[in-house]
Order: sequence, then C-alpha cells, then structure tokens
Amino acid sequence: MLNSIRPKNRVIFAYLLIPVAIYVFAVFVPLVTAGYYSFFEWQGGPNKSFIGIENFKTLMNDEIFWMSFQHNIFLVVACIIGQIGLALLFVLMINSRLVKFKSIHRTFGFFPSTIAAVAIGFIWTMVFDYRRGILNWILELIGQQEHTKVWLNEPDLVMLLIAIPLIWQFIGYFMIILLSAISSIDKSIIEVSEIDGANAIQRAIYIIIPLIKNTLLVCVTLCVAGNMKAFDHIFVMTTGGPGNASMVMALYGYKVSFMQQNMGYGSAISIGIFVLSLLVIGVFQLGTKLLSSDKEVV
Amino acid sequence: MKKKWVSVFMVVFLITALFAGCGQTDDTTDTSTEDSSTNDASTEDASTDDTSTEENGAYAGELSLMHFSTSEESEGNGGSDGFRTMVTEWDEANPDITLVQNVLANDDYKTQIATLAAADDLPDVFLLQGMNTRAWAEQGLVMDMTEIINSSPYNDQYDHSFFFPFTYNDSIYGLPVLTGGTTTVVVYDQAIWQEAGYDTFPETWDEVLEAKAFFDEQGMDVVAFGNSGKWQANSCFLSAVGNRFTGDEWFYSMVDKSGAAFTDQEFVDSLQFTQDLFTSGVFNPDFNAVNNEDARELYIAGDASAFIGGNWDVSYIQSVLDGTDLYDTTKFAVIPQPAGADATTRTHAIGMGFAVAINAKLADDPEKLAAAIDLAYKVTGPDFAEYVGANYALGGLTKVDNVDLSNFDQFTVDFYNYSYVDNKACEIYDSYISSAVWDVLNTDLQMMLNGDIDPQTVAENAQASYESNY
Repeated sequence: MLNSIRPKNRVIFAYLLIPVAIYVFAVFVPLVTAGYYSFFEWQGGPNKSFIGIENFKTLMNDEIFWMSFQHNIFLVVACIIGQIGLALLFVLMINSRLVKFKSIHRTFGFFPSTIAAVAIGFIWTMVFDYRRGILNWILELIGQQEHTKVWLNEPDLVMLLIAIPLIWQFIGYFMIILLSAISSIDKSIIEVSEIDGANAIQRAIYIIIPLIKNTLLVCVTLCVAGNMKAFDHIFVMTTGGPGNASMVMALYGYKVSFMQQNMGYGSAISIGIFVLSLLVIGVFQLGTKLLSSDKEVV
Repeated sequence: MKKKWVSVFMVVFLITALFAGCGQTDDTTDTSTEDSSTNDASTEDASTDDTSTEENGAYAGELSLMHFSTSEESEGNGGSDGFRTMVTEWDEANPDITLVQNVLANDDYKTQIATLAAADDLPDVFLLQGMNTRAWAEQGLVMDMTEIINSSPYNDQYDHSFFFPFTYNDSIYGLPVLTGGTTTVVVYDQAIWQEAGYDTFPETWDEVLEAKAFFDEQGMDVVAFGNSGKWQANSCFLSAVGNRFTGDEWFYSMVDKSGAAFTDQEFVDSLQFTQDLFTSGVFNPDFNAVNNEDARELYIAGDASAFIGGNWDVSYIQSVLDGTDLYDTTKFAVIPQPAGADATTRTHAIGMGFAVAINAKLADDPEKLAAAIDLAYKVTGPDFAEYVGANYALGGLTKVDNVDLSNFDQFTVDFYNYSYVDNKACEIYDSYISSAVWDVLNTDLQMMLNGDIDPQTVAENAQASYESNY
C-alpha cells in the first residue's frame, strides 16, 4: 500500500481497539468475575464468604451437572450429523443439474435460521402437543393411535425431540456456508471427473468433500460451540424437564444462579461450562484434523 | 488531521461508554427499561409539576418502585387493579415526588428482583416474596419494618397472621400486599357432576376415581392440571394435600428448623399419595407437558369436568366464561380428602405471597424513607382493602368489617365464601423456606408424578437441599 494513503499505525491501532474493547467487556470481564465469584459461597447481596475450591469440588460430584454435560454432548453429535450432514446432502442435491429453482431452495432452506429461537421453541412445542399437535394428528390419521404420546413428557425421547428443532433451524445456515465453499471449487475438476465416469456419490466423497475440508472443520467448530451453550429452545419447550431429563449446562447454570439464587455455585458452573466447551471443541478439532490427515496419507 | 481527531474521539467515547455501562450506580432502576413487546414490561415515569404536597412535604425527588401489576394483569385481577389504583392515587397526592415504576410480568419480576438483590442494587420500594425473606434479611438488603408496622395508623386493623412468611428472628420485613388468595381450589362444572351422580364435587379421592368411568365414556378428563412450570404441583396441590397428612405444626417446625424433616413419614405418605393419584389417570395425560394456563382452557372448552389451580386461574376463568351456561354451573370445592390422611380436613392453602419491602439503604435518607413508608401504608391499608372488597369481593392485609356481597353475582359470592368463609386455611409451602429447596423439590416432583422416581428419594433430596440451603 502506498504510504501516502496508509493510515498511521496509531489510527489503525485505535480502530482495532474498538472490537477488542467490546470483546474484553462483553466476554473477558464477565468470565474473570465469574471465576472470582466461583470461590465464594454467595447467595447474592453484599455478603459473601471465601470457600476456596469448595464449589468446584461440589461441581465435580454434581450428578445433574454431568448429566447436563452428557445432554450437551448428545446435542453436539446429533447436530453435527443432522445439521452439517443434512446440509451437505442438500447442498450436493441443490448443486445437481437436475434441480430447478436453486435460489428458491437456498432461500427457503435458510429461512428457519432467521426465526428467533424462542419462536421456534413455541412452534415445535405445538408440533409435539398431545392434543392438538400435528405429530399425534398424523399418527391418528394413519391408524396408529396407540403410538400417540405426550411427547415432551417422555424422559427417554425428550432429548431427541429437542434436537429436531435445533437441527431444522440451522440446516440452512450451514447450507449457505457449504454452498459458498463448493462454488469456489474449480468447475473443470468436476467436469473432468464426470468425463472419467465418476458418479455423484464418488464425486462427493473423492472430490468435493476433500476440497471443502477446511470449511467443514469450521462448520463443526461452529456447531459444537453453538450446542455447548444451547439454552433458549429448551427453556421454552421443557425448561429442562420432565425433571432433569432435558437439562443442559447453560440452563442448569441459570437455574442455580437465578431460581436457586446461589450465585457462587452458579459462577462455578459457568466456569465449568467454559472449560468443558474449550475441551470439547479442542477434541473435535483434533479429531477432525487427524481424520483428514490420515486420508491424505492414504 | 481532522480525521485523526475524530477517530480518537470516537474511540475515547466508546470506551467511556463501555466503562459507564459496566460501572455501578446507586440508582439504576431510575433509568428502568421499557420492553413491553417481550415481557409486558412498562416503565411509567409519573413526574409532575412542582406543587406542594400534603403528607411527604419534606421529600422531593425520585422514589423507585418495582412491582408486577401490569396493566394486562390488572384486567380482571382485583389485587393488581387495586394495587395500581392505590399507586396512582398516592402518586397524585405527592406531586413533589417522582415515582419511577418498573413494572414487569410476574415471572420476569421474580428473575429481575433476584438479580438486583444479588447485585445489592434493589429499588427503593419493591415486593418481597416470602421465601426470600430470610436470605435477603441475612444479607441486610431489606429494612426491618417491625417498628414501622407497629407504628402504622392501621396496625390494629391488620390481619397479623399474614405477617408470618415475612418474619425472621422476630423481625418483620414487609407489609403483606395484594389480596389474600387461595392457591388450591377445585373449579368444577356442577351440571356434569350431577349427571355423573354427584350433587357436589366428591369429598374423597376414592369417589373421584369411581366417577372416572363416567367421564371416560363422555370423552372428558376428570380433572385438568398443568405442571410444566414445575411449581404448580407444589403450590396448587401439595401445599394442601401435604397439610392433610402432616398438619399445621409440621410445616411450622420446618420453617422454624425445629426438628421436622421432609423425610418424616407423614410427608413421605403425602408424596406417595400424590404419586399414586397422578399415575391413576384421573388427570389429563399431558399434565406434565402443559402449564396451568393450558390446563384451565381444558375446563373452559368442556374437555375436563374440573380444574385444580389458584385464585389467578379463577379470575381468568371468570372473565372468559362470564355470560355462558358454564359460568352459572361453575362451583368451587376444596381438594378432596386423601385416603389415610387424618391430620386436617377441608384445608386450602391461602395467604399473601408478597409484601411491600423497603431497601435497607433508605435508612440513610430519613425523608425518602418517610415517603417510602407512606407508599407502603397506602397500598396495604384500608383504601386498598375497601377498593378490592367493593369491586372484587376480595380481602387484603387490612380487615374490612361487613363485606357487602349483595352487589356481586353468584360466581363471585361462591368464590368469596370458598376463600374466606367455608374452609380452613393452611400455609402455601413456597411462601416460606428457600427458593433453592423448592427448586430441587419441584424438579423431583415432576419426575415423581411420571412415576420415574420414588417418593422416599424425592423427600431425601429435598431434605439434603433444606439442610444445605436453609
């Protein structure tokens, strides 16, 4: 860049300071204060007593917290398969020459991502409703009355049912990311593979997926991060119930902090969520990298 | 050069704004937010011109008030309407005081007031929930109002039994507010029950279960109930059923920590009965997946012969059914007597769940404190009681002699008699003890009603939470 139009370093620094300042106050300061409060027994208010790592000891033995963590992991796995897997499938289908009105598919696919999570929660609560829900209505219509259920009151099914709206909402979001990645692939590579006789599945597995590997890695990271902090759908649909059957970490932290007014332990839960989320994202990134490098060796 | 200074100014401005936003102020609720689209919240700044004031001439300035009597809530709800009316009257009588109100829907109010309490940033005047009394008093957040209550001009007219949930270590921390309402009432359609062979709602659950066959034939649920919020089974059912098994003294002992325990056999028996009843099919199958608002619609729509809820549900049912045949045949009954329960009979949980409390920090500003006390007297005093008595046949903290029921229809008279005349009162569990304990119990109760956890485990978990949090 010409020095005459390049802003001074101080100006660049000042501009860059804005997002850093926002980040520090929106993320870093709350995290550090939560870390500080997690060492206190604190019911809220001015009085709190230092108890060292007692809250973390409690956290390590808190069955509900670890069950919530398992539910988050379930959501992560379900959504990686459901959101990214289905998004990839739909993108490959949309890219096919046989499909017409591609932009309409793209627009309607992305549409659920624009709806507020709370509204989605209400919509799907109605879908699963025992009396007027479309699911039980269809079952009755096809003569399967005995299979109708109070769906959101089934402890064994409720996590799966809660994953469905999450998957449905974000398929379009990942479709857009993957579409942009696929559109950057040189068309001649695809054409050559077609001439060589590769069918659609072979093209997807041996050409497209390896070429969008880095984008897929970003998608997985986004998906993991999003589902480790899942809260709003579940809050609306079940508030973690029945009992704790659909409890997730963020909702549990909220319950402990605000419903039980135990701010000290609630802060410890927040730190637990932060550490576990970092670990899970790290493990997934490592795993994806290892898998992709193995493929390259082969 | 000019650009440089503009950018430097912008950065400094932004950082200053961020710091200001994160900084603590003494009076954040004065700049309360308006968010009526999401949570029925509204901020009503009732500032007025400078004129002299009669009662609080010494204080001129802002007084913050936070409550949950929204305009929507007050339509048909006597307590909320009365509260809003009294606040408006007080505001008009005190033109030198700028009353800054932060009004939120009930659930949002509970969350926000707990957050403000945690931050030691409570408004000047607010509504204290009974179960928070002990914790907030220990934290020094709420003012000890014992002397204020003793020197109240209406002290001899107060029903002093209402003060119990707001009393800790012989000090009283609030003036009970709104109306004394039942939280456990069976609302039933007398006409359909007469068809089933019962003149009134049965007095025992065994009879209700016998009637189930008739209602199954009609394609109706016997009793509608909603517990997706998890608190309903506690507030609207267990408070009364538990009392039938344990009696009053057991719960007083729980509140005083003088020996009783959730694991006592009488309480476990009440849980066992509750589980057996909810798994018997007498309630709507989706009772754990719908809330009380959905469940009362089942009664209104004729899909259920009865509904169990609280006085707030009755207000809604009354406003919706008015003018229909079902309105004329809707009657009220206490929760039937469980088999094996012999401690009390015909009890229903009734009380005043909230009290007007004053921020302890107002002790440093006697003039402002005097204004806050005057407001507290106004919204709980005879003006309020007469207003809700005359307009809704409801009672408040201040007793009113000879309530004239002649101007009310049968529905209102029946509910007045149910609430205050015909039945015995017992305590509302979650007006006392601690939110942490009830959160654990309510969560386990929901699983227990599904049959997924046994009553003994529920009692043990609640007891563990009671011992560590209360």
